Amino acid sequence: MPALKERPKPFVLPEFCKGCGRCISACPKHCISMGTEINPQTGLTPVVLDLEHCNGCGLCIDACPEPYGLQQTPADADFELQDPEKLFGDRMSDAPEPVDIPNQVVPLPKMEPLVLKGNYAAAVGALLAGCRHFFGYPITPSTEGAELMAKLMPHLDGTFLQAVSEVATVNMMYGCGGAGMRSMTFTSSPGFSLMLEGISYMIGAEVPGVFINVMRGGPGLGNIAPEQADIKLCCRGLGHGNTHAIVLTPSTPQEMLDLTMLAFELTFKYRNPVIIASDGYLGQMTGKVSLPESMVKPGIPKWAVYGDLEHRRNLISSIYLSEVDLEKWNVVLNAKYASMQVEQRADLYMCDDAEVILVACTTPARTAKGAVQVLRSRGIKAGLFRPITVWPFPIEKLKTVLPNAKRIVVVEASNGQLEDELKIALANARIREYPEIEHVRHYGGVLPQMEEVILKVAAGQEVTV
Amino acid sequence: MSSVVETPAPPRFQPGDYKSDLKPVWCAGCGDFGVVSAMYRAMAELQLEPWNTVVVSGIGCSSRLPGYVEAYGFNSVHGRALPIATGIKVARPELNVVAVGGDGDGLAIGGNHFLHASRRNLDVFYVLMDNEIYGLTKGQAAPTTPSGDKTKSTFFGNPEPSVDPCELAISFGATWVARGFSGDMKGLVDLMVAGMSHRGFAFLNVMSPCVTWRGDDQFKVMKAKLRSLPEGYDRSSRAAAFAYTRETETLTTGVLYEAHEPSLLDRLEAQRTKAMEGHEGLTTEKVLKVFFPPF
Repeated sequence: MPALKERPKPFVLPEFCKGCGRCISACPKHCISMGTEINPQTGLTPVVLDLEHCNGCGLCIDACPEPYGLQQTPADADFELQDPEKLFGDRMSDAPEPVDIPNQVVPLPKMEPLVLKGNYAAAVGALLAGCRHFFGYPITPSTEGAELMAKLMPHLDGTFLQAVSEVATVNMMYGCGGAGMRSMTFTSSPGFSLMLEGISYMIGAEVPGVFINVMRGGPGLGNIAPEQADIKLCCRGLGHGNTHAIVLTPSTPQEMLDLTMLAFELTFKYRNPVIIASDGYLGQMTGKVSLPESMVKPGIPKWAVYGDLEHRRNLISSIYLSEVDLEKWNVVLNAKYASMQVEQRADLYMCDDAEVILVACTTPARTAKGAVQVLRSRGIKAGLFRPITVWPFPIEKLKTVLPNAKRIVVVEASNGQLEDELKIALANARIREYPEIEHVRHYGGVLPQMEEVILKVAAGQEVTV
Repeated sequence: MSSVVETPAPPRFQPGDYKSDLKPVWCAGCGDFGVVSAMYRAMAELQLEPWNTVVVSGIGCSSRLPGYVEAYGFNSVHGRALPIATGIKVARPELNVVAVGGDGDGLAIGGNHFLHASRRNLDVFYVLMDNEIYGLTKGQAAPTTPSGDKTKSTFFGNPEPSVDPCELAISFGATWVARGFSGDMKGLVDLMVAGMSHRGFAFLNVMSPCVTWRGDDQFKVMKAKLRSLPEGYDRSSRAAAFAYTRETETLTTGVLYEAHEPSLLDRLEAQRTKAMEGHEGLTTEKVLKVFFPPF
């Protein structure tokens, strides 16, 4: 004969009871009464249970609006298990000071170079940097990166999740980055526009994440050919508010890998998103890619809202309702942006004695490099100044080549967005003396051609063959 | 005296009149050819004037359709065909507004708009060409891709369950919901004529095979599954309609659900009429007085 089952009776967790009294009116046996003693932890007055007449009907538990206020006494009543301190760990204020779990550097065996598309190279770089969470929405010409992640992530105990839009993507990254994990996405210009709101939130809340923007022609839907038309967005328009992020501009598949690894290092160093501004050609371009000597096994940063006992102290937020607090927070962020200035990077090609400085990044930099070689063969002292970070603009490096410079020619696939960054950097560095800036520009997916650059530079100069 | 047989005047618009000068760039065998042909015929049947007709789309293979229709058109932002259609319809209620798009466009990035256009009972005919894949970006899983299917972004099989757009539309309050198949021209024309004539949000989910990213036989598989709604089907019952959603072994075409409720424009017009009662001869001056006490 089965044992008579007794229905579980309620118990109250005084810390969670606000004394609203809904259970008192719900109880048909009048077992519950309003308490008289103030709970010292909450400052509220919890109800008092007298369970002598309780038949375990459970109506009081249904009536309780607090998730942990009134609960059933478990059948095998291990009361301690339900103690919130044991459920969630210490209170925020009592929690231990979180500590950094440092990254580990794992040496890689020596390998033959791979032959990879730029998008694939960036995906491999992310995996070697310890990224195990990928979120993205399909958009040409960036899809290959996401597709490789879809193939590889499950093998590496990682997660690939195709979002329903770029808005969803960036917020998934916000969540993942907030937990201190390494996350990234591939996108292209129209998708990047959609992500800007979330990027502003991530900057405001100091959440890391890597965005690979394989830039394409615009405005509007534009086309899927290469353009450098998001330089202004990356450098000056990362959503609302005072925002900045390091913007890396690769120009070879090898750099797609190297700079993606660097991006993960920087995004966690500064707790700020990092953007890789690539372009449609570079994403699709296949080239020789050497793997680095080591890869990263990421730890957990101490600020992470990791969701365990050790990280209960942490809070990630970008809400500062008081104007004074928000201004203070902006001052902190501005100081951080200023500290990022040391990350200025540039590649100088034949600039030592150059009288004509070509300024270009991503694919147009490849064109400009070819032009420099031809011009040099004709006796024109040309050199290529190639920013690897367009924000912060590598003005310190530029200063070293300016004294010899008689001409500056910006070669770009946009309506002067790189030139604007150059001019802002010159103005901010209080450099007044520099040659007039000339340019070779194309838009809409058309790239500047080497012959055009050569013509531009050689015109008016004596050409010696 | 012989009687004169009156021959009826030929209709003003023939299906070919709705064909634009652009040649479709869809892959040979794409289901969307069937959809656009059916649209030409349905428009001719209703004798829609091209200059009073707007076809709006988002982004995707199927969203190229407005370019192939001789009417006003708008190839808009990815996922935003319905908000743009809303704007057009409330600004020019007398126009025939048709929104078209694919499953990724309408259910993923534009999913929210789809739900709320259904809820508002917006006076727009929405054709969703469902090929269960992202075609334009070369074959990633979409919200309608069946669970377990291998695509370029679901290398280990799609881990997510798929959605039935008809079920969504009905549960969110669309008042005319139908499913069609791009290979069934006659059926599709009838559905489009009915959908375009409906007052309120009319939603037509057209199964439109993708020959490039869903395999050569998606058409054959779909055709083999094709069924019609049974005789005496009660299309006013939501519960009856749900029996024909989330189908796996069959593909039932026809009008699953139809209701006659005030559309968004009807409700807006009723509000305007009520608000303007007794306000004949209202001047700007009088309106501005609203902002000054005593109001």
